[in-house]
This record gives sequence, structure tokens and C-alpha cells, in this order.
Amino acid sequence: MVEIRNVYNLHKHPSNKLLAMRKIKSLRLLSLLVASFLFIQNAQAQSTVTGTVTDKNGKGIPGVTVSVKGTTSATQTDEAGKFSIAAPGTATLVFTSVGYSTTEIPVQGKTNIETSLGTLEASLNEVVVIGYGTAKRRDLTGAVATVTEKNFNKGTYAAPDQLIQGKVAGVQVLNNSGQPGGATTVKIRGNTALTGSGRPLYVVDGVPLDGRSSRPGLNAQNLGNTPGGNPLNFINPADIASMEVLKDASATAIYGSRAAYGVILITTKKGQSGVPKIDFNASVGSSTIMKRIEVLDAQQYRQALTYYGLSNGNDKGSSVDALDAILQTGLIQNYSFAVSGGNENGRYRLSAGYLDQEGIVRKTGFKKYSADLNASFKFLQSKKLGLDFNIIPSQYNEDIAPISNDAGSTGSLIGQALQWNPTEQLVIKKSNGQDSLNIKAGDVVNPFAMSEAYSDNSKVTTVLGSISPYYKFNDWLEYRFLFSLNYSTGVRRTSIQQYINLADVKGKGWASIANNELVTQQATHTLNFNRQIATSLNLNAVIGYEYMKFTNKGSNTTAYGPAGGFGNYGLDYTNYIQYSNSGNRTISSFVDPISELQSYFARGVFNFREKYLLTLTFRADGSTKFGENNKYGYFPSFGAAWNIDKEDFMDNISLFTSLKLRGSYGITGNQEFPAGAAQAKYSFSQNGGLGQVNNPNPDLKWQSDKQYNIGVDFGILSNRITGSVDYFNKTTTDLLFPSAPIQPAPPGSVVRWVNLDGQIENKGVEAAVNASIVNQRDLTWDFGVNATFLKNTVSGLSAPIYTGGLHGQGVSGTLVQTIQNGLPINAFYTRYFAGIDKSTGLAIYPEGDVPSFVGDPNPEVLLGISTSLQYKKFNFNVNMNGALGQDIYNNTLNNVINVGSINGGRNIAVSVYEDPIKESFSNPVTSSSRFIEKGDYLKLANATLSYSVGNMGRNLKNLNIYVTGQNLFVITKFSGFDPEVNVDKNNNGVPSLGIEYTPYPTARTITFGVNFSL
Amino acid sequence: MIRKLIFVLAIYSFLALGCTKLNEKFQGDLTASQVSGGGTNVDALLKGAYNSMRTTFQDQTRVYCLWEMTTDALIGPTRGPDWDDNGVWRVLHEHKWDGESIRVREGFNDLSGTVFAATDLLRFNPTPQQAAEARYLRAFAMFMLLDGWDQVPYRDPGESVIAPARVRKGSEAMDYIISELNAVIPTLADAPVTKANKNAARVLLMKCYLNKGVFASVDTRKTPAFTAADMNQVITLADQIINTNLFSFTSNYFDNFAPTNTVIGKENIWTQENVSGVGEGSPTVRSRYHSAMHYKQNPQGWNGFTTLSDFYNKFEAGDKRRGANYPTPGAPPNPGNRVNVGFLSGQQYDWTNDTLLRDRPGALLVFTPGVKSIETGAELERTGIRAYKYPIDYTNDGSGNTDNDYVFFRLADVLLMKAEAILRGGTATSAGSYGGTALAIVNYIRTHASRGASTLASFNLDQLLDERGREMYLESWRRQDLIRFGKFLQPWQEKPQDDPKYLLFAIPNQQLAVNPNLQPNPGY
Repeated sequence: MVEIRNVYNLHKHPSNKLLAMRKIKSLRLLSLLVASFLFIQNAQAQSTVTGTVTDKNGKGIPGVTVSVKGTTSATQTDEAGKFSIAAPGTATLVFTSVGYSTTEIPVQGKTNIETSLGTLEASLNEVVVIGYGTAKRRDLTGAVATVTEKNFNKGTYAAPDQLIQGKVAGVQVLNNSGQPGGATTVKIRGNTALTGSGRPLYVVDGVPLDGRSSRPGLNAQNLGNTPGGNPLNFINPADIASMEVLKDASATAIYGSRAAYGVILITTKKGQSGVPKIDFNASVGSSTIMKRIEVLDAQQYRQALTYYGLSNGNDKGSSVDALDAILQTGLIQNYSFAVSGGNENGRYRLSAGYLDQEGIVRKTGFKKYSADLNASFKFLQSKKLGLDFNIIPSQYNEDIAPISNDAGSTGSLIGQALQWNPTEQLVIKKSNGQDSLNIKAGDVVNPFAMSEAYSDNSKVTTVLGSISPYYKFNDWLEYRFLFSLNYSTGVRRTSIQQYINLADVKGKGWASIANNELVTQQATHTLNFNRQIATSLNLNAVIGYEYMKFTNKGSNTTAYGPAGGFGNYGLDYTNYIQYSNSGNRTISSFVDPISELQSYFARGVFNFREKYLLTLTFRADGSTKFGENNKYGYFPSFGAAWNIDKEDFMDNISLFTSLKLRGSYGITGNQEFPAGAAQAKYSFSQNGGLGQVNNPNPDLKWQSDKQYNIGVDFGILSNRITGSVDYFNKTTTDLLFPSAPIQPAPPGSVVRWVNLDGQIENKGVEAAVNASIVNQRDLTWDFGVNATFLKNTVSGLSAPIYTGGLHGQGVSGTLVQTIQNGLPINAFYTRYFAGIDKSTGLAIYPEGDVPSFVGDPNPEVLLGISTSLQYKKFNFNVNMNGALGQDIYNNTLNNVINVGSINGGRNIAVSVYEDPIKESFSNPVTSSSRFIEKGDYLKLANATLSYSVGNMGRNLKNLNIYVTGQNLFVITKFSGFDPEVNVDKNNNGVPSLGIEYTPYPTARTITFGVNFSL
Repeated sequence: MIRKLIFVLAIYSFLALGCTKLNEKFQGDLTASQVSGGGTNVDALLKGAYNSMRTTFQDQTRVYCLWEMTTDALIGPTRGPDWDDNGVWRVLHEHKWDGESIRVREGFNDLSGTVFAATDLLRFNPTPQQAAEARYLRAFAMFMLLDGWDQVPYRDPGESVIAPARVRKGSEAMDYIISELNAVIPTLADAPVTKANKNAARVLLMKCYLNKGVFASVDTRKTPAFTAADMNQVITLADQIINTNLFSFTSNYFDNFAPTNTVIGKENIWTQENVSGVGEGSPTVRSRYHSAMHYKQNPQGWNGFTTLSDFYNKFEAGDKRRGANYPTPGAPPNPGNRVNVGFLSGQQYDWTNDTLLRDRPGALLVFTPGVKSIETGAELERTGIRAYKYPIDYTNDGSGNTDNDYVFFRLADVLLMKAEAILRGGTATSAGSYGGTALAIVNYIRTHASRGASTLASFNLDQLLDERGREMYLESWRRQDLIRFGKFLQPWQEKPQDDPKYLLFAIPNQQLAVNPNLQPNPGY
């Protein structure tokens, strides 16, 4: 496999040799372990046991694995939930099925066994992953939401974060771009990031991720920076069993200095005891654009030329739809299969996935090959020694369009398409059939030609491997060691053909080859203790030590063609970049300082009489990134909970099946600033230059988040209705901030990292309710809704901070957002626009150029709605999500399709043309409240209709066919492609929020799929 | 046994993989101690200091717009959808900037960056020559800061960059700059002109003495006074430069700015070298012509800045400095012999085949003299006479790494300063062949074959200011000249009479917030 090739490549770097050796050793170990599956199998003489497995409503559950404990003997229930298996009278039967809790029943000589499985969600005994251990849901004191596979969003997703969009109260997931594999914005409990990503920490089976993508960034000539990739792309969503969202400090503090923005724990699927089983899933589908931006068509354009008193010289006589010309119907194929099985000595699961997703923009797409091999073994007669391992290799290829976050007046592909004169042909038809691209003189770029001329391919290869031996000293003490290595490398090759009229590229062509390599190593020791330590008092505790090491390096070569250009040979210029003149090349490389994180942590969960629970957590994090004077940060938290339903006085209150009150307080941190910010750094620049480049701050430390949380979990009417309500209040202080250097400062240094005085407060209420409205044998209807109400304020800052840079024509250097006292974070702050003066056609700004607070990009309410209707074998599932109260800045309307464009021979927005007040085409283009639009929306994110055929014949089990629609519609007043938008408009690392600028449009996707087991 | 083994293994892996001291080590960068350990690093640091001046002086967004667009020579009009840029250009020409203005802030920061880089290398044991070059660069950056802001922040080599810097103002800053220049002149070399050299330091010293009475304080900028002693220093230094006989006039004025100007431009005393096609990671003078030219011209311009008609009208028709067809390698043939450098006025032609150019809506591309701060009419793409004085380097236009070296100082400036010093009470001398009176010197320049202007019969300070405008236009000295001649607050096209506070730029609010030693300039 390709992934292994990369492992061997490590030999080329002497410093990595040891690493590679270790890697190879572990590969050898793995092959030994795989071989050992063969020896696990065993059998003995039996009698036949039959029975039925039903759900809580008495309905038979098909596809339940029934196995004889300690053997490989297993079967599956049929459509009606019936099974028959040979088992000795002394055996124990194990009933397992995805989405249900596992049940064990001793045969005790019986020949008929009827049992009922509880669903996992309803089960308070469900085991929840909480970081460095597990706990029963019943014992949790923190705000932890679990989404299992059954409740994941249905459809085709490149990365797993979209699986829980709209599913968890307090979690906002925005798809920043419609590009398959594009980055998302994930925010847990609001927006507190003055800098950095503001993204939660992702932990995959105990391995915390770096959080960056190794896909190299790209600033293509004149086109701007393309949006980033999603760092979670390497995981196949089909391999995920559940995702836990840790929200409050009681839950997150165990991750200390990386937990300020919440933690998402991803648990991959594991093998189940039983006969080997093959699961297969296939789907095919297609996507088209969900919603268009309305610009003039050819007929309207002709009318508009007259309307604005312009010469008809810009009526070129044709009629084209330039947006259509760069769009396509994107085909999707997605296959995955998994083999799993095991017994009491070992379990394994091997999966492979292939996703081929074309984008809706021409020449874009995402192709992923992924696999996951995990197994766990128990050794020794006592079964005290065990070993878990997990290896996830993957590779994804992206074809990327020239769509950028910050294109200037030349625009990027989308801007060029919106601006293209609709009366002008894109392709010049010739009578001899030799059609040619209509390349114009000047700066108007033909979007179709741009699409043709541009090639940008990125390949990211990732191997995430972990191995974890453990030893159970006895039934209450376990030592575990986890070593993980996450190696990811990205290669990106980009070229622009010389025929395109980009000012610097024309006649020469341009090529870029970039490489990036991200490596994370982790070694974790934990000691778990779980024992009754006094009468009715149980302690579930963990202490641990963790070491992590992060490296990041890369290089980039770009070149223009020689005199006469790279040529029109139809070859990719990156294939012969040496043809360029040496003077027209740039070469750069970087290696970040190695970051190390060393941590000590402990957690104790005290359980008194199952009623009173107390969780104490503490973590000390030391980081190389922190300044000399603040090497270590300390992150304590405590949480308490009261299972009220266990109290005697609740015995007579039949309404509540379960009722729990929770409260917590704690401190978490964030250390998202560049490595090397605490000491003076001299960097090499082109052609022999050297100089200090930063403003070192030895006092630099983590950003602190203090959070308290009060919540209640309830289940009423025999858990027909379950839910939770939480109030949270999160105060962020010691704000990590790229402040202004104090002049004289190193030339070109634009920031001085400081912990700023001031605070950001996010408070809110989140509520989630799930109801089983109809619950009959042939008809069930479940309905779930979650809502989050957020409020965000900034205070104590000594000076306002500006961000949110606009791009396009006439707005160079314009910032429209501020972070300042008394306003919500990222408040829109620009001119107030009072309308167009009827007599002059010019804009009226009553307050002149003085900016004021004119909008808030932070939503007040986040909504998630899901419902599931099952009738006999049909299941209909709908998920919607939405946000209310946020504003969006329409940078596209402001600077791409404004009225002035028509004077320059370009297209304009229909809304501008149809405005009853005639705007002068010479109205200066500048930022103002005019372009702030209401961003409220409700989106039908996905809907699935499935039909469960059940078992077919002897071998085909659980056959299920379905059709899924994604992004079927969106209800909104926003005029852009999608109100769910967040184009990265950061300023010197201070993030922006809620600005739309010619993004990759959102796709509407329909897929047909089938899944079954063998 | 197993337990023991587990225990040992656990301890071993704990020790092998854990317990680090968490000392951060750079991989691709150096710490200060690594820099001082290297042998040739000071050369690299010095190169870094030179490079720090590239954006500051060559880009259109720093010194160029601060020293030219704030005057009667240049304006950046809003053209419908283009060039409003949140008013950043307008505030410069209309004198409405404040402590938030991005151009003012970036200019201050970048000049200070050179102060830092040139100071910092002094702590790494430079040779006397290296130290002299660095101190010269620092003096030059400080001179520009003093001119623009009156407050010059500084630190000693090695001082912490997160502590507030100390600040010199007015006379104190000027005396420091003069003492530094006098200290380094003996050590600096005579050549090359692309590096800090003896004569460059002398020119800067001339500018110090000429402006000493102006920059002494905030108030002296309102009513500049000049002493004969200072003026005689200017004259003495000019004569020292003239008597080196290193500099002369060539037959074409634009030779000094051409792609090969360091070879053929004999007037240049100090330039920043731009090597054909070699990028230094920063802009070159390409922006000078791109910012002026129309979208339909070759190379395709950004259709931005123009001059004003009153300034254009200071030239007589025969003055070759007003514009020429200057052939450069790779240039279109220009069969109509149209002006392609200098001032582009009236109908524009395609330089390849001499056909008439049209603007984007389709009207004839005629650059008209009148221009407004905010253009609103149908002619908005065409207004304003375009001006740039670096002939276009077609070979390297695409990559942006043009060959034209950026000109800081040249002989004509020296001669005009000498003439001015004589007019302001200095004692006339007759070094070289340029004449012994202010009038003679100015007429020498005007009537040289490369200029071709008429002889002036009489001469006063107002005429000298106009002559400096004609000779030195768009070389980033106009603001300093207008202030020294007491004209900076007067109204001119698209600018009213204004408040004396605009004799200085505002100290950026961002810097006031982080450095208590800086004070807002009076009036801001």
C-alpha cells in the first residue's frame, strides 16, 4: 500500500530512522497478531437453543448477533428476531447488535430463550467514553453528548464532523465551502477565539490530533489563498461507531491546555464477538448547486445597458450563463466494507473504504482510499494482559478549483463567473470546428477558460497508528500504556496555463509544487482504579502521564515559465518546472520548532449510593511553546451530580423515570499560538538575508477558560421523553492575542503575542429533547429537537481589535469587524448606510466615514431538528438545522457584482438592477451596513427513506436500501449561495466570522445506497 | 513475574519517552546565540536591513504615497467600483488622516523596522564597514521618521522588544542623526551606489542641515527658519560630492530610472538595487507605472493615481522631463513615438500598432487634466494625467521583479539643494562646472540636453520650489519640500487650506496604545 511506502521513506531522514524502525517493528507485530486470529477459533458439542430477540416494544430485532460466550459459534436473528443456535446447557449466550446494549443470558439447560434488548440511548448504564477512561452515563457529572452511528446524519460526507451537524445542543458546525473535503467551522458553546481556529480538540480512540491539515496552503498568482482542507478528512465516517462531545469543564478539563474549545471524542467501530461478519455498504449519487446567486441574464443585461445610459458596445450579441459553464453535475460513489469478528480472546475489525466525489464545480473532486484495522487481544490464562491496536491508513486526492478566500479585483473562479458579461460568448465557435476559448484583452477573465487553464491537485496521505498494551492487576486496578504515531504528508501541485490573461501569468504560465509533513507522537501511561473504598462509596479514578510531540515542516517551489512561457503542449507545468528561468523561481522551506507537551493528570469519580456523584479532575500541562516564565499550566475542575430519581421520595412520582441534577466548574486552556513565539527568532530570507522576525514574549502562557455549568437530565413517561437542559457560562481571560509590535520592531513582524487583559463571556442555555411520539409494533415516530441560546460579550480590552478583511474591487485593506468592549465578538463595524439618494444615485452615509456597530455575526439561537418515522419496513428520517439572529456580510455583492461593474463591461446583481431607486454606476464602492444581510436560516440538511428488506437467502443478511437527499432546501432571506457560510477573512491571525465572498457553492446531493451483511 | 515485567517496562517507557525539560529548539531558524556563533552572519543581517527598505520605499503604499499623495503632485481618486479602498488614498490628498489611517501606520512601522534591523546587527560584532552601513541605514530611516512624525522611537542593540522604546524628538533626534552620519562617513566606501556610501551619507547630511530649522520642533515646521551656518554646511557637502567627479548628467533624463539605470544613470548617488528577474520577496518599482496606467494599456495597469493639472502645467512644452518615448528591452515598437514614461496626457494609443485605445465602456481613452477626489461621471476611468518616471521593464513586468533600481539620491537633487542653500543665505561657491550662483546652477540643469528647458532670467525661492517639482517629481521628496517652503497647508486642487496639525502625520493609535513614551502629535 501507498501508506507503507511513506513509512519506508522515513529512512531518508536520519533523525526519523528510529521512528521508522519502531514503525516497522510494530507492522511486523501487527502481521503476527493478524496471523494469530487463525488460532483463536475453537468448537465443542452442543444442543439447540431457539428463541426471539425483541426491542422494548416487543418487536423482533433482525440481525442481532447471538453467540456462545467463549466460542466462535454464533448466528444472527432473522427478520422476526428469531434465532436458533447450538449451545451446551452450561453456556452463556451473548446478544449484540449495533445501537442496542449487549446482553448476556446463561442457557442453564433451557432450549428456549426470549430476551429484549434495550437501545443504547435509553440506557443509563451505557458506557460513555470520557477521556482516559470510561464511565457509565449514570455516573457523569459533566455535560457530555453522545451521538452513535444510528443517529449520525445520513449521506455522503468526506469528514466525520458533519455527521453530528445539528445533532448536539451547543455545537455549531458550518461548512465553510461546498468543496468536497473542504474545511468546516466547528464551535462548541459559542465563539471565544480571539485567535487560532476556535476548533474543538479531536481525540480518535484516545489519540489527540494535531488539528492541522497537512494539505499545503496555496496562494496562486492573483487568485488569492484557497480555503484550507479539513483535518479530519483522513477518517472514513463509515468506520465511526460514536462521537462524544465534551462540553463543560468537568468533562473537558482532563485535556487541560487544549480543551478550551471543547473536546470531541471519536470512537471507531470495533469487532464484536461472534462468527466473522462482512458488512458492505455502497451508494451512488449526484450533486447539483443548491441555490444560485442571481445576476443579470443576457436580456436583462441589454436592458440594463440602456437603463444606465451606457453605450451598447458592451452588448456582445450572445447569451451565456457563465455560472452554468463552470458548474457540473457531480457524481458520487462511496463504498465501504468491513470484516469483523472475534471471541473472548480477541476481537478484530478490518475495513476499507473508497469515496469518489465529484464537486459541482468543474474539475473539482475528492477521492479517498481509507482503511481501518483494529483488534484487541487478551493474553495469559488469567486474561490480565491485553493489547489493543488500531491503524488507520488513508489517502485522499483533491482536485481543487481556483476559488479563494481573498481574491482581488481579478476575482476567483466564482467571482469571474458572476461578473462575466452574459452577452459575451465564453467559447468562440469556428466553422471548422476548431473552437477556441474567448480570452479577452485586459483584466476580465473568462471563467470557463480559467477553469480550463487551472490545475490544482493535492494528495494527503495519513497513517494513524496506536498500540496500547494493558495489564489488569486485579478487578479494580489496571495499568495501560498507549503509544501513537500520526504521520501525515501532503503534496500539492498547481499550474496555470500561459494562455490565461492573469496579469503576471499571461505568456509565461505558472507552476507550484508544495509539500508538507505533520507528525504527532504520543506516549500515555494511565493507571485506572475502580473500587468501593468505603460503605456505599465507589471511586473510579485515573492518574496518568502523557507526552506529546508535534512536528510540522514543508517546502514550496514556484516558477514562471521562461521567455515564451512553459508552452501550450497540454502538459502540466509541474511536470517540467526546471524549464523555467532560474530567476523566475522561488523556493522556500520551513520547519516549525518541535512542540512538546508534557502532562500529568488525575481524575476521581466518587459515587455514593448511586445518588451522589462527585468528579474531581486535575491536569498540569507543560509546553515548549509557553514562555520561560510560564512553562506549566494547571487546569482543575470539579463536578457534582445528584440522581434524584434514586431518592425514596421519588418512588411515588411516576412521571420521572430518571432525573438528575448536575453542576460543574473548572478551568481549561488554549495554546493556539505559533511555536517559537516566546524567544527571539532569526529567520533566513531570500538571497542571503537574515533577521529577527518576531517579538519574543517570555511571559507568554495559555489562554484560560473558566466555565460553570448547571444541568438537568430527565426521562419521563418510562423514558418516552428524554432530554437535558444546561445553563453554561464561560469566561475567557488571558486572551492569547497577536498584538501590535512596539516599534522599532523586527521589519515585517506584524504581531507580538501577548496574553491580553480583557475577557470574552459566552453564556447560554442549551436544551435537547427526544420523544417517542408513536410507539407501536408497525409504526414508530421519534422526534428530537435541540436548541441553543447564546449570548456573547467582550469586556476589559484596552483597545479595539479589527478583523474581517474585505476583498475585491475598491476595498483594499478594509476591515469590517471589531472585537471591542461591550460588543459581541466579531461585531460588524463599518459605515452606516441610509439608502441611495434618488437625485444623484449615490449612497448616503449620514455619519460619513465614521464606523459604528451595524451587525452581529453570532447566532442567538442554534437549532437542530430530527425526526424518524418507521412504518413496517419503511423508515423515513429527516434532519434539519438552522441558526437565528446572525448577520452576514455580503462581500460578493459589495465588491463583485455591484453596479459599477456594468460600466467596466461586467455583470451585476439582479437585486441592484431591480432596486426601485436607480443607483449611479459611478457610486463609489465602499464597505457599509448596506451589505449586511439577515443570516437566519433553516436547512433540510438530509432526509433518508429506507426500506429494510431483511435477510435474503441463507447468506445475505440485513439488506437495506435507501435514498438520501442532502441540502434539499434552505429557508433564508440571505442572497448568497448559502447562509451557512464562513469564508476565512482573518486579519493577522485574528479570525473573522460570517463574511461571504464568492465561495464554492453548496451542493444538493441525492444518493441511492444499499447495505447488507454476510 | 509478569507484574514485575510490566512494572519494569512501564518505568522504562516512561523514562524513554517522557520527562522532558520542555526547552524549545528551533529547526529552521536561529536563536540570537546561534547568530552570534556564525561567521558571516552579519553580512546576512545587513542584507536583511537593506531588504527591510524595499516595501517601505518601492511599494506605492508607504513612503511614496505619504510623501507624494499628500501634495499637489499626486492624487488617488475613487473611480466608481475602484480605488475607494475605505478612503485610505483620499485622506492623504485631502489631509484628513488620523491615528487609524493604515497608510500612516504602515509607513511608521516599516521605517521603524529598518531602525530595528540596522540597530540589532550592531550587537553581533560587525566589522567597522558593516557597522557604518547599518548606522547609515538607521540614520536614514530615522530622518524619514523625524520628517513625518517628529517622534523617533529607538532602542539600544539587544534591548528587549517587548519593553516600550525610548523616543527622540525634534532637535534631539536631528542632532543624533547628524552625529551618526559624521561618525560613519570616514568609514563608508565611495562605491557602489547600490550600497550605503560616503556620498549618500553626505547627501543625507545635506538634507539634515537644509531641514534642521524646519524639523527642530513641531512649531518650527509652521515657520521654518534657516541659519547661514547650516546653509554653508549644505554647500560644503555639495561641493565635496561634486568634486569626487563620480557623478554627471547623461543625455537622457530617464536613463537615471531605466531598467539598467545603475549602469547608465550617471547621476545616481544612492539606489536600492533590483536585479533583473530576481525576487527579494518584496515589491519593486513596478507599482509606480501599474498604479498609474489604464487597464487597457500595455502592461495592463490598475488605473489609479494621477497628477493634477496645476502641477502638470508647471512644465513648459519643450521640457523633456515631462515625458518621452523611452525604449526598453521587450517594449512594443511604439511606431507613433508616443510618450511611454513621464506624464501621459490626452488620447492614448496602443504602443504596438498605434491604434486608438478605448476605455472599458468603449469611449476613447483620453486622459483629461481635470480629476476629482471622487469621480462620478461617465468619464471616471479616464480622468487625470498619469505620471510615472521609471521606464517600463517589459522583460520582468510579469514576475514583478523589475530591474530598475530604486533611486534615493541623485546629482540634480544635490545641485538643487546647493542652489537653495545659497538662496537661503549660504555663501555661493563654484565647484565643478555647474556655475557659481543659484540661478546658474538651476539653469545648468534646466538647459542640459537631457532636460531641454528654457533658461530662466531671474530666480527666487518660489521658482526654486517649482523647479524642484519639475526635476524631482514623484521621487518622494515633494512633501518635505512643500513644508520647508511653507506651502504645505495652502489649498491646491482637491485640497482646501488646512490645519497646521497636518504638517505631521499622526502617531498611529496602535503604537500609542503600546508605547507610553510616544505622545499624540499636537491636534490629533
